[in-house]
Amino acid sequence: MAASDTAIIQMHHVDKHYGQLHVLQDINLDVHKGEVVVLIGPSGSGKSTLCRTINRLETIDSGEILFEGKPLPQEGKELAAYRAEIGMVFQSFNLFAHKSILDNVTLGPREVLKTPKDVAEKEAMELLERVGVAEQAHKVPAQLSGGQQQRVAIARSLAMHPKAMLFDEPTSALDPEMINEVLEVMVELAREGMTMVVVTHEMNFARRVSNRVVFMADGQIMEEASPDEFFDHPKTDRAKDFLDSIRGH
Amino acid sequence: MSAQTTSMRDALYEAPGPKTKRRTAIGTVVSLVLLGVAIFFIIRQFYITDQLNERYWSFLLEWTTWRFLLEGLWGTVRVAAVSGVISMALGLLLMLGRISNSKVLSAICRVLTDLFRSLPSLLLIYFFFLVIPKYGLRMPPFWMLTIPISLAASGVLAEVFRAGVNAVPKGQVEAAMSIGLTHGKIVWKIVLPQALRIVIPSLVSQLVVVVKDTTVAYVVSFPDLMQNARVLISNYDALVSMYFVVAIIYILINYAINHLSIYLAHRSGNKIISRETENPL
Ligand SMILES: Nc1ncnc2c1ncn2[C@@H]1O[C@H](COP(=O)(O)OP(=O)(O)OP(=O)(O)O)[C@@H](O)[C@H]1O
Ligand SMILES: [Mg+2]
Repeated sequence: MAASDTAIIQMHHVDKHYGQLHVLQDINLDVHKGEVVVLIGPSGSGKSTLCRTINRLETIDSGEILFEGKPLPQEGKELAAYRAEIGMVFQSFNLFAHKSILDNVTLGPREVLKTPKDVAEKEAMELLERVGVAEQAHKVPAQLSGGQQQRVAIARSLAMHPKAMLFDEPTSALDPEMINEVLEVMVELAREGMTMVVVTHEMNFARRVSNRVVFMADGQIMEEASPDEFFDHPKTDRAKDFLDSIRGH
Repeated sequence: MSAQTTSMRDALYEAPGPKTKRRTAIGTVVSLVLLGVAIFFIIRQFYITDQLNERYWSFLLEWTTWRFLLEGLWGTVRVAAVSGVISMALGLLLMLGRISNSKVLSAICRVLTDLFRSLPSLLLIYFFFLVIPKYGLRMPPFWMLTIPISLAASGVLAEVFRAGVNAVPKGQVEAAMSIGLTHGKIVWKIVLPQALRIVIPSLVSQLVVVVKDTTVAYVVSFPDLMQNARVLISNYDALVSMYFVVAIIYILINYAINHLSIYLAHRSGNKIISRETENPL
């Protein structure tokens, strides 16, 4: 889990507004190769927005974002090619509703990487096996449980051999008994050295696998610390209040 | 996330209890009685006015009558089928133009869509029948009928397609972007296939409209079912019987179209929709 020195993702002085709302305020964040960064903070603090700017699902107003030292492409083929290198897992899974599980996983490799069909399918089956849903390969997404769908979504991202992965509250839409099956897959990925940015409120996950916790509130990064330090000795009042509220009643 | 195959009716009403069942039974009996009375009076009226007389119906036993009607039917089917295909292609193009990034193209497509949609098809037909020939462009009656019907339908279909595209969840597009698909591939592989499935019922309603539009073929003297029926009516002086038969044929055509749609929706919808695969009928 050793994070090397090269920052694979760099955000410098990033600002973004939605109309009057200043959702990202002077964000500076480096993510190193092999690092797992957990983003945490109250609802509406801008975690999703930050996460989505990294693969340019959201544009930024000012500042810069670099990936492997280069500014993100702004549009067209270059942007698509860049996004192919970054996996993204959404809260609501977003599996392609009209395609089988297998086709969900092979679509990217076949259309973007031009992998031959048989190779793509073989690899997809291995990935589905790995996340434990190989038996469902020929079903459609609506026939799977939430936990299974999310594991397929992870497999779909992995099929593109991403250099980094973004997770936006991957377990928030899941029933409690399905959360662990998804977290297990993510823990495994982290062990293998995947670079990950994870928006989550799962404290156990954060403690177990993250290298760093980034606490956001009102569009700002308020605190950055190792998980133990953050959860045991939060520095700001905002963070203390937040932790009290999620540890709960 | 799991959508359900419940029909609208299932969604609106809960399972009937004993009271509702009794009320439904009473309602059924009352409507059947009313229907019976209505049919009785219609037939009695026909009898009184002598419409049931054999001479108004016997020509229906002749093969030539049916051959003539079938020729008309074939005309109707050709116009409807060709219009259906052209209007879908054109409607799709208009919609794609309208949602494109180019402001100019988008504006042009919006104007055309609204124009085709708001003009009555009969007016468009007159335009192709009376105005265009004045400028030396002659075309056979088939096209004078098919083109305006296609144009009118394409305007409506462009809007139908656009509604379908808007109904595809944004997350589908974002997921497609995140695996690196380019804009064109997202449209063709993710958005359109889902949008088409969503709008199948509206597409079919529009096809029914197209079939009904063909009945103005007499304007351009194109021999469709309606036009040939008119000829028979004047030959045999058999208004009621002929209209009766033609009405039934149109009902059968549209019944067939509707069933085709249910079949299509079922076949493609199955994939998207739900694990409780109950009968959608
Ligand atoms: N497309 C948009 N247009 C306008 N405002 C938006 C848009 N998307 C998000 N916002 C606003 O930006 C703020 C930050 O949203 P964001 O989704 O990043 O928060 P979050 O930290 O992910 O919250 P949550 O924990 O609820 O997911 C919120 O106040 C939200 O209402
Ligand atoms: Mg969020």
